[in-house]
Amino acid sequence: MTQIEREAWAILLILLLAAAVAYAHVTTTTEEYSRYNTDWNGTSALPAEEIRDLRNLDTAATLLILAPDRPFTAEEVGYLQTFLDAGGRVIVADEEGTANSLLADLGSTMRVRPQNLASLERDRADPGLFTVSVVGNTSLFAGVGTVRVNRPAAVTGGEPLLETAILTWEDGDGDGRISGDEVFGTAVICAAEGNLTVLGDESLFINAMLAENPQFIENIQPIRVDSIHSRTGTANPIINTRLWIQETPPAAAAAAALAILPVAWHFGRKRDD
Amino acid sequence: MNRQVSHAVLAAVAILVLVLIGVQAVDPVLYAAKNISTAAHADPATIQKRSPGDAASLVPLMDELLGETGTLALTIKLQDYESAERDLARYNELSRRFDRLVVTLDVSGTDIGEFQQNNRQNQDALAALLNDTRRFDALQRLEIEVRGDDEQHMTVIYEGEALRQKMRETFSAYARREAATVRIAEHYEINATPYQESVDHFAEVADAANGWQEEINGGGTGTGGTGSGGTVQSPLVIAVTPVEGSYGDVLLVGGIHAAGKSGAPVEIYVDSRLAATVALDDDRTYVHSYRVGRILAGPHLAYATAGTIYSNVAAFEVLPKNTSITLSLAEVNGTAVACTGNLTADDGRPVTRAPVLIRVDGETLVGAETDGNGTYRADILLPAGEHALRAEFHAAGYPLNASESPTETVILRGEGLSPFPFAAAIAAAAGTGWYLRRRRSEESTPAAEPEAAPSPEVARLAPQVSIAGLPPREAATVLFCTLRARLGLPETKTPRDCARIAPAYAGFFERYERIRYAGETPSEEELTDMERIALGGDADRA
Repeated sequence: MTQIEREAWAILLILLLAAAVAYAHVTTTTEEYSRYNTDWNGTSALPAEEIRDLRNLDTAATLLILAPDRPFTAEEVGYLQTFLDAGGRVIVADEEGTANSLLADLGSTMRVRPQNLASLERDRADPGLFTVSVVGNTSLFAGVGTVRVNRPAAVTGGEPLLETAILTWEDGDGDGRISGDEVFGTAVICAAEGNLTVLGDESLFINAMLAENPQFIENIQPIRVDSIHSRTGTANPIINTRLWIQETPPAAAAAAALAILPVAWHFGRKRDD
Repeated sequence: MNRQVSHAVLAAVAILVLVLIGVQAVDPVLYAAKNISTAAHADPATIQKRSPGDAASLVPLMDELLGETGTLALTIKLQDYESAERDLARYNELSRRFDRLVVTLDVSGTDIGEFQQNNRQNQDALAALLNDTRRFDALQRLEIEVRGDDEQHMTVIYEGEALRQKMRETFSAYARREAATVRIAEHYEINATPYQESVDHFAEVADAANGWQEEINGGGTGTGGTGSGGTVQSPLVIAVTPVEGSYGDVLLVGGIHAAGKSGAPVEIYVDSRLAATVALDDDRTYVHSYRVGRILAGPHLAYATAGTIYSNVAAFEVLPKNTSITLSLAEVNGTAVACTGNLTADDGRPVTRAPVLIRVDGETLVGAETDGNGTYRADILLPAGEHALRAEFHAAGYPLNASESPTETVILRGEGLSPFPFAAAIAAAAGTGWYLRRRRSEESTPAAEPEAAPSPEVARLAPQVSIAGLPPREAATVLFCTLRARLGLPETKTPRDCARIAPAYAGFFERYERIRYAGETPSEEELTDMERIALGGDADRA
């Protein structure tokens, strides 16, 4: 092999590595809950299918609205109501209270009350990472005795499904210990009204938490995630372009052609030589 | 691809990689160590597995404690002292477990801490009730036996009165804690009924003592009533001045023994425990300076005895005080920190011989004790890194309120770096240098020789080879090996290496390189020529 040939191979290798690095970077994001975030706080590992249309939902699947940050139109609320009436199961996971307007529109009395809950019922140093008990009878938590939650919010109204231990407090000053006017008390983390369930901890679905409550994740399969309103749909322009190419056949054909043409040109030129 | 183009592509790739890295450097969330938690959640994989304690057993323990008070008070009321001893031992054991848990979980500042304080006082009260009831029982029997002996009878009546008063005081304090304890129990959904029943049992025991004493006094023993009741005038009188005090105060417990002789011993009891023995002065008075130390806040009783003579009963009250505790940290060495501080009451008095706990990183507890000046010191071994420490005084058994110091932080460097890794690195560097130097010398040695023409001796030693019948390219390989061996070049050298080392034979080696790598086939004339050179028969070699 001549020196020139070796240089060519080295350049090709570097190009391939650079392309791989570029691909990894542009097709992932660090946004919380994003399906394109492969890190601990993303939802790339959640076994769920994304949907972008709330019409004609399959009642055999669980619709997950995870950390919603975009408002629902009256039409979309109507689709959800129809889905619930048809026996479909909806889980609204929220800890910032942004889902409260949707809950009101659905006629639910349940509300998410953001709190900095801490508990002594834990096996980790972080006081916000603790276990709660299943108190309601529901298939969601069939075979589950306790659920590990991650800095959850309280849920009011509805039939309680998950409740903290009595040694839980709202850590108002955030010092991680019960002090000042803080008092121990229980809090409901998850409640239900019919097929509508409100979970005050959206963190249960992030990559790092999936292994903590595997039975719960198994119980709610199959999952359809609403990517229009949930933060799971958070991406970046490059990811959006890639998705558009994937979903648009002519664009996909053009991209394939762009990839094949240089190779064809290269081999064609070599034969001429 | 020519060199300029390849350089341009390399430069472009380098710039691309730098841009990619630069974009990430602006927002280093992917690889920064800080990326382990957000406002919404923490990464459980990075959170240390460390339980604050057995929190699940805290409320059940509270339930057991309240349940035990009911059982214990009932057995005392039934005068089943054997069972009561067992119940008290179990109650004490449960209380110890509970106290440890409260400290471990760091919940002494909550209503659970209030429950703990009440429980400690209940523990003391029930222990005292058991002892007092047993003593009262004995006195009742003794009172029947000594009827007719006025002096003995008076003694029994005095002690009975002292016990009765003490039991009333203890019961009052026990009953005062009921509301708070029941409130806390209801908050934690604990059944407080046994505890409430214990208050009733306690009341019945105290009432029974009242009834007996009234019966004795009303029965007319002929010697009058009790000293405190004012109907019996004991020759031995006791008083406490002042009648209130707090931690560190000195109360004068003393009086006069009208029938005593100078130098006669007088025993002074506080809460039925011997506090001091003093001698009567010439004027038949006695006095003892009682310093308030480790004694619970609340009412207490004192009486004196001189032989078989009992005094009246004097009451005094110990008032609670706030405390403050300081903490200073000093690094002893890379792995130890010296914790020192002072524990004082709010009037500045040092709290002596008192237990102090130092909480490390909110979890580990290290014990220390104050000296005679209220100063404590503890050297704590810690791993390298930043640590938060706090001193706590839990005031168990003291007429003092608990306190804790501000949290102090210390950063330990850890043990000095071990010299072994450096020695190993130096040795590895030296070894690498030696190896490279040796290798370079090995490579340069044969290069020097072929610069000159091979010696006639080498040529003479050239092996005799035959290429007859071999395919042309194979024959060329045999001739290449022959020449390489004749020139003394290592077998690892390629034709290009050989041409560089022995430029006099460069033509031969370059021709063989084309045959070997470019796939060319040598002609017969070329093979003949190469054979001649390989075997050393050519004067001009190339």
